[in-house]
This record gives sequence, structure tokens and C-alpha cells, in this order.
Amino acid sequence: MAMSEAALARRNEGGSRSSIWRRLEENPFSWLLPVAILLGIFYLYPIFDVLRLAFTNASLRGGEEHYTFNSFVALIANPVLPDILWTTFIFTAGSVLGQQLFGLGIAVLVMRGERRRLYGMTALRTIVLIAWVIPGIANGLIWQMLFSEAPFGAMNSVLRMLHIAPVAWLSDPGIAMISAIISNVWRGTAFSMIVLYAALKVIDVTLYEAASVDGASGWQKFRYITLPQLRPAILVNSILITIATLNTFDAIISLTGGGPGRATEVLSLYTFNTVFRNLDLAGGSVLSLLMLLISLVLAVGYASFLPRREPNE
Amino acid sequence: MRASIRVALLATVASCFIGSAFADDMITKDRVGPADAPKVLSFRLTGDGPGNTDPAVAEGYQKLFVDFIQKHPGWQIKLERMSDNIGQEQARMLEQTKSGSGPDCAAVDSFVLALFMNAGVLKPLNEYFSDDEIADLFPFVRSGITGKDGKIYAWWWDTDLRVLYRNKEIVADAPQTWDELKAAAIASKDKGMEGVLVNGGRWEGTTFDWLANFWAQGGSLVDDSGKPIFAEGENRAKFLKAVNYFKDLVDSGAAPKRIATIVNYDEFNAAAAAGTTALFIGGNWQLAQLKSTLEPEEFAKWTFSAIPGPTKDERSTGTGGWTIGAFSSDPEKVAMCAGIAKEIYSGAGNALQQQLPTSKALFGKYDVFKSDANKAFAAALVDGQARPGVPIYPEISNQIQVMMGDVLTGAKTPEQALDAANAAVQAAYARL
Repeated sequence: MAMSEAALARRNEGGSRSSIWRRLEENPFSWLLPVAILLGIFYLYPIFDVLRLAFTNASLRGGEEHYTFNSFVALIANPVLPDILWTTFIFTAGSVLGQQLFGLGIAVLVMRGERRRLYGMTALRTIVLIAWVIPGIANGLIWQMLFSEAPFGAMNSVLRMLHIAPVAWLSDPGIAMISAIISNVWRGTAFSMIVLYAALKVIDVTLYEAASVDGASGWQKFRYITLPQLRPAILVNSILITIATLNTFDAIISLTGGGPGRATEVLSLYTFNTVFRNLDLAGGSVLSLLMLLISLVLAVGYASFLPRREPNE
Repeated sequence: MRASIRVALLATVASCFIGSAFADDMITKDRVGPADAPKVLSFRLTGDGPGNTDPAVAEGYQKLFVDFIQKHPGWQIKLERMSDNIGQEQARMLEQTKSGSGPDCAAVDSFVLALFMNAGVLKPLNEYFSDDEIADLFPFVRSGITGKDGKIYAWWWDTDLRVLYRNKEIVADAPQTWDELKAAAIASKDKGMEGVLVNGGRWEGTTFDWLANFWAQGGSLVDDSGKPIFAEGENRAKFLKAVNYFKDLVDSGAAPKRIATIVNYDEFNAAAAAGTTALFIGGNWQLAQLKSTLEPEEFAKWTFSAIPGPTKDERSTGTGGWTIGAFSSDPEKVAMCAGIAKEIYSGAGNALQQQLPTSKALFGKYDVFKSDANKAFAAALVDGQARPGVPIYPEISNQIQVMMGDVLTGAKTPEQALDAANAAVQAAYARL
């Protein structure tokens, strides 16, 4: 029986609908488009705008804006930049190392405590997390009170009670950097602890059982089982906390303000000062690009050490 | 009779409720005036306002604002509170006003007023203030708010100055010179004190307080065109002399090394309360703070005098304060903004917060400024000097803060630190 024209039209319509649906299903780009638009507006656009501003003479003071390479030239000629980069390197390296070590230590401690069903492990995890949720500015102010060199400063008062000479926590350029690292490690350790604790949880227990059968010591188990199993987590954590530390300026600005002199003025704080004190928007944009470049290089560097997935996996 | 008493009581209670509801409705955390008022003025302010942390001051401002808005029916004021990070707030506001998204009216810190004036975002206020009112302003205030065209672009309503505070029991006589201050500070250490305290960390207070020592010698940071000249000719020698003075205070033990970390005037109050210092250079407003912090018998030991100079006759003190400026292009909003400056802050606000007025007439108008202390502050304003209203000033200040840290910690010699500061300032000036 011949199909009526109306039925044919309905079938064609249904067919074209399903073909659009199929095309949509086969093409993931269409599903990713909303997210891509959002990311583009809120992440990529500011980056492009910073890139554009870096090639201008833009200033918060006003005036005619024109395109120029002067900001890049000024950055290269800036005699302060090497010192700022060195300070940034020390602060970042010290913070990342400290956060990894303390994060790993606490994660292992919590794991061992849980295996032995000790009470208070949840409380311990919670206490560590409290430091993480404290805003950077508050973190700086807390440590400023602790490191205060006034006769009534907290840590020096304790040292005096122990008949130990007070320490120039913030007024000595060398010690001020160590103090800044301590405050940042205190705040950031919780994040590392969470990442590494999650990674420790998924290590196959049979590996440890087999090692015990072979007579491995505790250190050998840690060195040859725990650390290799944690490698991806450590590397991912390194990427995340390195970028976070490079961007840290709130804790430093409230702790030392970058001083004494420039002893604790890291790149992010220098960028902040360039924009909000010098009102030099173009100079700040060039410094932001430098920070972006450093973060990208370090992230790619870390990522190259990540274990690769085999094709047959 | 009973019924009439009941009615009277009910009426009283009802009127109280209506009154409080009205007052509550007239001012909230972020609005003054009826919420449905058709005309809206956005006003960005500091803690000097209805949100002040001192309940008495907050209440005083609430009354002033409500009284003001009741005189201007049809208006509401949207309050936008700045954070305590004033430098960042002012920089952000400058950017916003340039792009047309700033407030209609705002508090502008006097030391960045020149930036706003040069950016051309402020509206003239001459028609709202009489020539006599403008002429009565202290000279540094008048010149600070006057543009190149002779018009005033903000109303500078309060000022402050720096003085030397001392505990009379430990330091009986006011040190007049740098040498006398050093000797008094060292002597105070024998009585368990830590010496003289001054700002020395990375913040504006360090530059501002120290500049008095440079200005006392007649030094200039910039020339008439706004070019930095502090490291040239006679200025260089005066600059180094003032830097060496602070360095000597630390090296000799007259001041503790920790001054390189002081970034807040509250540290001086804390030290005074703890009884660990007998000398500090602070702001005039700290007298009231000391009074509220210390026990009466302890407060009675404290007094103040002019900041010592290189000689008795060479004196200076830094003067700051806040202005109110209009950014709106709507003449009605500019008039409202000028009204806020004139009717709420200038005079009434000064008296409420005991913040020094900027004109001689207001000192005589309010009893609170007739106290001996406020008379002394007013007299000291004669030596007052405001920071130069030039676009390069923020960078000069930044470099002086860095320099001070480097010198006080021994990281650089004064000459090296000055050369580094000058190189950075000149590079920034070339980019302006």
C-alpha cells in the first residue's frame, strides 16, 4: 500500500530529527560549547585583555592609551626584577617542600591511626583543615601577632621564658623570609594532606602484606611501596600548590608588606604593588604574563614526570 | 479618666514604635532615606560614617545623615563602605570613575587627590562654598584641593598631624632636637623601656612620618613641575641626613630594630598600654585612643610635643586628612555631594570624631576644639606640610618605604638605598 504524503512527511521529519540528534551525540563539541563559552568569558577574556594591556601604556592615572613595547622594555631593564624572582623562588620552593613534607607526614599519621582504630583521627583531620579555610589576610595577621618582636610578642615571650634569646622574626631580612614560609606552610599543609591522604587510601593493602611476608622494614615499605604509589599524587599536588604559592600575596602583604626592604616581596606582591601603588596597569600586565609563563613552564615540567598510560591499558 | 490614660499610654507606645520604625526605615546598613525615594546618590565612604566601629560615633553619624536626608525629600543615599586597604580602594575607585562606573560622591584620601584631579574625574565645587569659607581653609588644604584652573575639586574636611608622645614620668622634658630625642630614648632604656618607636615598615605611615625630618631642613621631593628632585643637589644631602638620623637611632639602640616591621599606629598604643615604651611618634588622633585604652592614672602620665628637628628652629610635621569629591555629571547629585561635605562632615563630623577641622573658624565654633590638647594641635598645624599632590608621589613613597627597610636592617648603606630609590622613581616618572 502506498504511503500517504502526510505519513511520509512525518517520517521524514522524524528522520531528520533523529539525524540531528545523532549528529549532536557524535559531536561532543556541541555539548562542550556552553562550558567553553563560560570559560572563555570568565577566564580567557581576562587573559587576552591582560595580553592586550601589556602592549599598551595603560595606567590607572588616566591619559591617552596607545600601543607600545615600552612596558616589556621597562621590565627587562628593571634592576629589581632579579631580586624579586629570587625571592619568589625561595618562597615558592620552601613553601612547596614544606607543604609536601608536612602534608605527607600528617596523612601517613592519620592513615596509621585509622588502621589502628585510634580515637581522634577525624578531629585531627578537622583541626588541620581549619588552617586551610582561614583567609590569607587573616593568616598573615595571626602570624604577625605570633612573630611580633615587641617585648610582649607571643613567640619571643615563650623563648624568653625558656631563657632563649628572642628572634628577629620579621626585622631580619633572612629570617623574615623563613617566617613568611612558615606561615604559608602552616596554611597550605592541609591541602597537601587531603590530596595525599586520598592517594594513600587507594594503595592496595596486599602490597604491604606481601612486603611484610618478604620481611621488609617499615622504612623499606614506605620507600619502595608508599612513595612510588604516591608519585602521581605528589606530582599533581606539586603543580597545584606551586601555582597557588606563586599567586600568594595576601598572606605576605599582611605579614610583612614585602619588607623589610624587599626581603619578602614576591612576584605576585610586586605585581600587586605595580598596579595598585604605582597605578601602572601596563607594567602590572607584563608582570602578570611573566607569572603566567612561569606557572605554565613549571606545570608542564611537573606533568612530564607523570606516569604515562600505556596504549593497551 | 482611666480610659483617657489608657488612650494616652497607647498613643505614646504607638508613637514610639512609629518613630523607631521610621528611624529604622530612614537608615540601614547601606542606605539613608526612604527605599522608594526616586533620586539616588551613591556615596562611597570610609569608617567615618554610620558604620563606624565606635557605637557612639556610629550613632552620631546616623543622626547627622538622617537629619540631612530629611532636609532633602525625594532623595536616598546608597552607602558603599570601603575596606581598610585604602591604597587599593582608592586605586580601584580611580579606575572605576575613569570608566564611568564609580560612585556619584566619595571620600578621597588627600594624598591621592591630585591623581583624581589630574584624571579629570572630579567636578568643581566652588558654587557650593563661599569665597570666605574657601579663604578660611589652612593654606596647605586650600592649595591641595585647588586645580590648575583655580577651582576647588573637593572639600578637605579633616586633617591630622604627627607629634612626639612621651611618658612624662620617664621623659620629663620634651626633646626638641634629634640629639635630644636620641639621648632621651637611650635614657628610657635604663628604666626598662625599648626606646623610641616610629613607623619603619612597608606602608605609607613610614614615609609620611619620616618626611617631617626631611621637610624640617627645607627639603623638597619634587620641583614645581612635579619632577622628583629629592636625590639632587642640596635635597640629596638633606635626604641623607634625615635617613642617617633614623639609622643612627637604630644603630645606637635608641630605637629597637623592630621598627622596620611597624606598619600600624596601633602598635604604639599597644606598647604604651604594655608599658614598654615612653616615646613614640604618632598621630594626633592617638591621644583620644590612649585616653580610652589606658587607666586614667596611666593616661595622666602621657603628653605630646612637636616632632624634634635637626635644630630647635627647624621643625615640620606631616598633615593628612580626608576630602569629599563629586564624580557625577548630574548637577543635582554634585549639589547633594557638596551638601554631605558641608552639612555632615565639615564641622559636625569633626566635632563628633574630634578630628581636626581644616579651617580656623571651625576651631572656634566647637567647644571640643577649645581643649588645651586641641589648641596645641591647632598651633602645631602652623608647621604642617602636606604630601606633594603629584602623580609620582605614590611611587616616591613606595621607594622610601623600601629604602627605609634596607637601611634600618643594614642591607644597604643610605647612599646605596637612596640611589636605588631614585633610579626606580625616575624610571617610573619617565613612564608617566
